[in-house]
Parts: sequence; structure tokens; C-alpha cells
Amino acid sequence: MSRFENSLIPNSIIYFFVLLISLISIIPLFTIFNGIIELNTNSEYFYFFREFSLKNYVANSIIILFGVLVFTFLLGLYSAYLVSFYKFPFSSFFKYALILSFAIPPYIFAYSLSAFFENYGTGYLIVSTFLNEKMANQIIPNLNPIIGIIISLSFSLFGYVYILARSSFVNQSQNLIEVSSNLGFSQTQRFFKVILPSARPAIFIGLSLVAMETLSDFGTASFFGTSTLITGIYNSWFIFDDLVSANILSLFLLIFILFFFCLESFSSKNSKYHLSNSSSHKKKIINLSGKKAIFAFVFCFILFFLSFLFPLFQMLFWTFKFPEYYSNLDLIKLNLNTVKLILASTIIIIVCSFFSNFGIRVLQKKTLRFISSLSISGYAIPGIVISVSTITFFSILNEKFNINLKSFFIGSIYGLILGYLFRFYSISFNAIKAGYLKINQSIDDSASLLGFSKFRTLTKIHLPFFKKNIYFIFILISLEIIKELPITLILRPFNFETFSTKAYNFASQDLIEAASVPSLFLILWTTFLIILSIKYFLSEEK
Amino acid sequence: MKNILILFIIFFSIESILANEINLFTTRHYESDIQLYKKFEEKTGIRVNVISGKSKPLEKRILEEDRECIGDIFFLADAGRLVSAEQKGIFQKINSEILENSIPKHFRNKYWFGLTKRARIIFYNPKLIKEDEIENLNYEDLAKKNWKGKIAIRQANNVYNQSLVSSLIETNGKKHTQNWLKGIVRNFSRNPQGNDRAQILAVAAGEAEIAIANTYYYALMLSGKKGPEQKKAAERVKPFFPNQNNRGAHMNISGAGILRFAPNKDNAIKFLEFLVSPTSQLHLSNNTFEYPMIENIEVNDLIKKIGIDFKQHNSIDVSTYGKWQKTSFKLMKEAGWN
Repeated sequence: MSRFENSLIPNSIIYFFVLLISLISIIPLFTIFNGIIELNTNSEYFYFFREFSLKNYVANSIIILFGVLVFTFLLGLYSAYLVSFYKFPFSSFFKYALILSFAIPPYIFAYSLSAFFENYGTGYLIVSTFLNEKMANQIIPNLNPIIGIIISLSFSLFGYVYILARSSFVNQSQNLIEVSSNLGFSQTQRFFKVILPSARPAIFIGLSLVAMETLSDFGTASFFGTSTLITGIYNSWFIFDDLVSANILSLFLLIFILFFFCLESFSSKNSKYHLSNSSSHKKKIINLSGKKAIFAFVFCFILFFLSFLFPLFQMLFWTFKFPEYYSNLDLIKLNLNTVKLILASTIIIIVCSFFSNFGIRVLQKKTLRFISSLSISGYAIPGIVISVSTITFFSILNEKFNINLKSFFIGSIYGLILGYLFRFYSISFNAIKAGYLKINQSIDDSASLLGFSKFRTLTKIHLPFFKKNIYFIFILISLEIIKELPITLILRPFNFETFSTKAYNFASQDLIEAASVPSLFLILWTTFLIILSIKYFLSEEK
Repeated sequence: MKNILILFIIFFSIESILANEINLFTTRHYESDIQLYKKFEEKTGIRVNVISGKSKPLEKRILEEDRECIGDIFFLADAGRLVSAEQKGIFQKINSEILENSIPKHFRNKYWFGLTKRARIIFYNPKLIKEDEIENLNYEDLAKKNWKGKIAIRQANNVYNQSLVSSLIETNGKKHTQNWLKGIVRNFSRNPQGNDRAQILAVAAGEAEIAIANTYYYALMLSGKKGPEQKKAAERVKPFFPNQNNRGAHMNISGAGILRFAPNKDNAIKFLEFLVSPTSQLHLSNNTFEYPMIENIEVNDLIKKIGIDFKQHNSIDVSTYGKWQKTSFKLMKEAGWN
């Protein structure tokens, strides 16, 4: 017998809707599998791919993944450590400023990076202005594409490790740290023996997120033109017209990514036991002085500069250098489109994920729990595959079930919202799930005893608790939607542009200079949203 | 007041239902194309609605939408891509005297029509290569040993490269091209990377002696639209049209076809006919620096400077690029072209 039988809404209706939402959220997974069933065993591309490219592509993907993980780990961890345990010039500024790296999508970072290093690029301009024009191209090294991808991804993704490591440091028990000093540990010993091990689960979650983003990244890899698993998907489709093989490769990728996801959920489970905060002790912050303070400052400054100011300056530089490109943009429409997309999508995504979490909680059904846990796959599937899945789904619906929703969803704002739901549902779902874990089940039981209906428990007890959480999820999803490219590009209605599609248009006609204005607006939007919610990123600042 | 509002709403919804329009899918991302579409709108009153994107996702969208697809035209930037779309039954047959009379036969068929031309040629650094070294050069010669470590070109998955190699397979046969690929890959100055402009820049900087690229990338640099540094770099490089003593330089097209279920077929035909008119051709070529599809267009000085009187490979039907693209890619990969 389930809880809340005194409810006005029958359990079966809740069950139905939660099941529906969960099933909708796993449509891409379904279409990928469906695509594989049609596999033609003598797929020309698949054979060729296995013979000639597989090793190379997998090797590149692994090198990039490894490089990005090492970089984000070192950068994120060390900067979080510095701003959490030490005071040095501008340390409280950097604490917030480093989060701004989230405002830069990896592809905009890639544009800036490649423009800096290319022959006669920005680097050349700087060197030739201040030093020697003849030598300038020699002085600026050629950027190896794989290194380019690693750098672009690392600087735009290290924020995950930074934020999670920092929140874990701040919540770390001061007692433990004091014990370590009583035991006569040096600062280095203290870091490796006490601080790092207890932050391990949080860092691990951060790294898994980085790994998922890296593996499903398409924009950066294709911009630098390196063959990774994603390129395999692309080639299979674009050159061989073989969408089946593309689906199989997506599945490979998905399995790869799911592996990281399992690691992540495993460590999130463990992490609960590590967050033993003793609020009675205020954290002791060590004042740095002299060389050490300068070093800490320089490290954080360089990180902030490279991750945020460098791409921002590059875009500003182009905007001022080529003002003629500014006039072509219908800024009012672009901003309105952005607002429209953000509002409609986030509201729907949050309502759906909230309702399904609520349903799973009150109904306690294992099937629902299982199906909804599959929904995380959306975040792991590359956007380009999601967009095809969306289109394919409506086509299947029409062919097999004679339900024709194509003209309603394909090429309309509803289709776009659905695409975003597939991709970003898991962000919202998991964040709400984590929030629900903190509300003790006994509260629900007491509410029930007091005669609260399920609906009232939801509105009067759960929702107030989630207010801040929802606001934060709203910001997170908005950030993703503003930066999103492949889904928007394919599913949008006629004459519908966003800042990211505009930037892409210019970049693909080889006028990255003109892409700077839409990119700049995109960065302004994301920066604005981050600043609005900065205290939630650093969860401890109340 | 309420009634006025209702009338107002009805008025606008009727307008949007009865709108005189065409819907265009395009893989060309030029802002100047949009300006040209505006001119069409002014001239005919037919509104042009646009979605731009990558070729295959758009193709997939059109195919899956099937009868529901409200698109009228699909505009693509490579002959092979047009053939691939045609083979899937995306386009319908079109009879238009204007199109047939304006566009040379080997740049069109019944389903699609070439609207601009692109030449994929050689760029060299005159400081590193003497005129007589490059004189009479053919694409075929690029596999010879004297070019070892000197050639810059982009990756195998680039469709323009696939079309170039396809034209070689069609002309010289598979076996010959296979050997050619082995040779040219040995001659690469670096692992292929970057776009066409990056190859020209590498030649300007002396990192490679010759590059293979489409001319409009070079023109874009020369135009100053990418800043004075790029312009200066382009001036250090010279264009060279290969195979002038035999079949001519490799030409590709960007072109469009009318979709099978196009709801506005008549408007769409008008639109394509408008695109081959002399004013449109001039607009296209002046802004994107592609070569015009029709004869006797007074192109701008920049294109003249690069060259207009060169011999073009006109004996080949560009639809053969579509036939060989997959094979090209396979052979390129087998030869070690990354």
C-alpha cells in the first residue's frame, strides 16, 4: 500500500504521467537502438572504418580525454585549493571570477585559440607590433590540433572540478584539518593526506562531467579537424550516407560515457558520507605573503585570464576591428529568441523533472526508478545525434502508429524544446533528485498524517524547500541552451536564429571575425546569468 | 475594441496562411545570400524564408518530414552532395528554359542546377618556387618526388578534396589515382589540418611551398575582409591554375534543386531563375568571390586579378563527383591521408 491514499489525485494518474515523462526523456536512446536493428551486416562504412580508422579514432579520443582530464584536474583542484585555504591578493575575487569560465562555450574558445596561433593571426599581430615582424610567424608556434582541442576543452570545462572541489573543501571538517596540524603535518602532507582524500568523491564527480562533455564534444573536434569517435559518426553519415553505422558508433560512445556516469553516481553515493561539516568551527584561512602570495595570485590570474578574458578580448578585438559586421545583426530579435527559448524550455524541463521525481518518491515504484535513471543518457548523447533522433522519432510514430505530429514538432519551437528536453532533462532531474534526498521521508509521512494531500505536500512542503534549487537549475539549463548549437541548427523553424547559430553561420563561411558579435552577446548572456546566481555556484556562501 | 483586435488577429493569420513565399534550406552560410534573397522579395513580392545548416542533417530532416515538409528548395555547396540528395529522391524534375539556357549542361541535370562555380587550384609562394618550376603543372604532377614535404592541403573528410579526387578517378581511373594518392601523401608538408585559408597562410609563412585551395578563400583574404595582415599574407602567395595544357582546372559548383513536395513550386522556379539572372550572378560573385555560372558577367577586379581566362575542366560532368566520393574517401584514407 502506498502512501497518501487520502489524495485527490489517484496514484494511477501520477504513475501514468511519470511513466510518460520518463519514456519521453529516453526517446533518443530508443531511436538509436531502433536504428541499429536495421543494421545491414555488410555496411560498407563499418567494415572500412574498422579496418582503417577505428584504432586511430579511438586513440585520438583517448588521448584527448586523458589530456583534458589531467588538465582540468590539476587546474580545477589547485585553484580551488588556493582560494579555499589561503588568503592572497584578490583571492575573494578569484573565488567568483573562476566560475566565469562556464560562460565560454568550448567552440568559442576554439575560435579564439586558433585565431591566436594561426599564421598571421592575433599572436602574429602582437609579436609583430612589439617585436619583429619578420620573425613573428616563426616565434608563434603552430598549434597541433589535438593540443588545441585539449586546451579548448580544459579551459572551458575545468570549472566543474573547481566548483565541486571547492564546495567539498569548504564543507570539509575543520576538526580533521586541525588534527592534521596537531600531528605535525606539513602543508603539503596535509594536502595529500587529509584534504585531497576527503574531497575525492567531489572531484570525481567533476571529472566524470568533464569526461562526458569531452567525449560528446563535436564542435571543437570538428573545428580543429581531428578524427575522434565523433568524427567517425560524422564521416559515416556525411560521406557514406550510413546512418546505421553512425548509430552504432553513437552507442559505443554512449557505453563509454555511461561508464563514467556509473563512476559518477557511484561516487555521488559515497560522497554523502564525506561531507561532514562541523559548522561550529569557522575555517581557518591562512594568510599568504611574499613570494607565495604572488605565486598564488599569478596562478589564479593566468587561469582567469586564459579561461575567460582571453576569448572575451579576442571577440572584443574583432568587434572593434571589424565594426561593419555589427550592422547585419537583428539584435532585438536575437535577444527575444533567446528569452523565448530559455523560458519555454526551462519551465517545461523543470516541471517535468520535478513531477517525475515527486511521483517516484510518493509511488516508490522500481520500474519508474529504472526508466528514469536511463534518462541520463540524453546528456551523454552528442547533440547532433539527438537532433536526428528527434526527427526519426516522429517519422517512426507516423509510419508505425499512424500518428502524424511531424508538422507540429519538426521545424517548430516545440520541436526545439523537445530536443532540449532530451538533452538537458538529466541535469534538472538529477539536481532535483539530489534535493529530494535531503528531505527526510518522515516529513512526507507527517504531512500525510496531518491530512495533507499529495498535491498539498508538493506545493506546501516540497516546493518551498526547492525554491533556491529550482532557480539554480533554471540558470544551469539556460546556460546550456544559450550555448547549444547542433540541436538548434537542425530543428529550428524558418528564419529563426540564436546567437549560437549566427556565430556558427559566420564561422562556417570562414568569417570568424563576423562571428565575434554574436559570440560576444552569447558571452554577455551567459556571464550575466552566472553573476545572477554566483552564490549558488559556491553553495556555502549563504 | 475587442472586435478590432479579433479582426487584427484574423488579418495577420490570413496573411500568414496566404503568404506568397518560398522556404529554403541551405548549406551556404553567406550573409550576402540573404541580401540577394531580399532583392528577390522586393522584385517579386515573394518572401524567402531560410534555414541554414549542415547538409546531411538538413537532408535527413527533409526526408523524414516527407509530405509534411514545407521546404521548397535545397541549396547545397558541392556537386557530390547534390547527387547524393538527388539519389534519395529529394528533388523533383524541373523544366525551365531559362535555367537550361543559362547553365552549361555539365553543371546541371533535370533535378538540380549549378548556380555558382568554384575552382580548386594551386597557390604557391613565389619566393620559394620559380615560375618555370610551376609552369605547365598538372594535378597529376603533385605526386612527383620533387614536391616532397612541400604541399599543404586539408583533411580527407573535406568534401572539396573528395570531389577533386573523384574528378581524377573519373579522368585517370582508379588504379592511377591510387598511385597518385600515395605520392601526394608522401609530399605533404604536415599532417593535414585547418581549412583552405589555413593552407594558403602556411604557404605565405613559408611552412609549405604550395597549397591546394578554392579560389574564393584566397579572394576573401585579398579583399581585406579578414584584416590587413591576412591581406598582406595573401599578397605573398600567387594563384596557379593547373592542367592548362590539357583538360583544365578542377571546377565544383554550389547548386540547388526543388523539393519533391514543394508547396510553392512555381515561386521556387522563379527564384532559381532569378538566381541565374545577370544581376544575381554579379551579386553572388562579388560577395562570395565564387565564379559566376553564366557567361559575360563583368566580375570585380579581385576575381579578375586571380584569373578569369583560365581553362576550366569542362569535359567532365560534375555529377560524376557524386559517383566517386565514397571511393575517393576510402582511397585517400588507405593512402594515409588523415
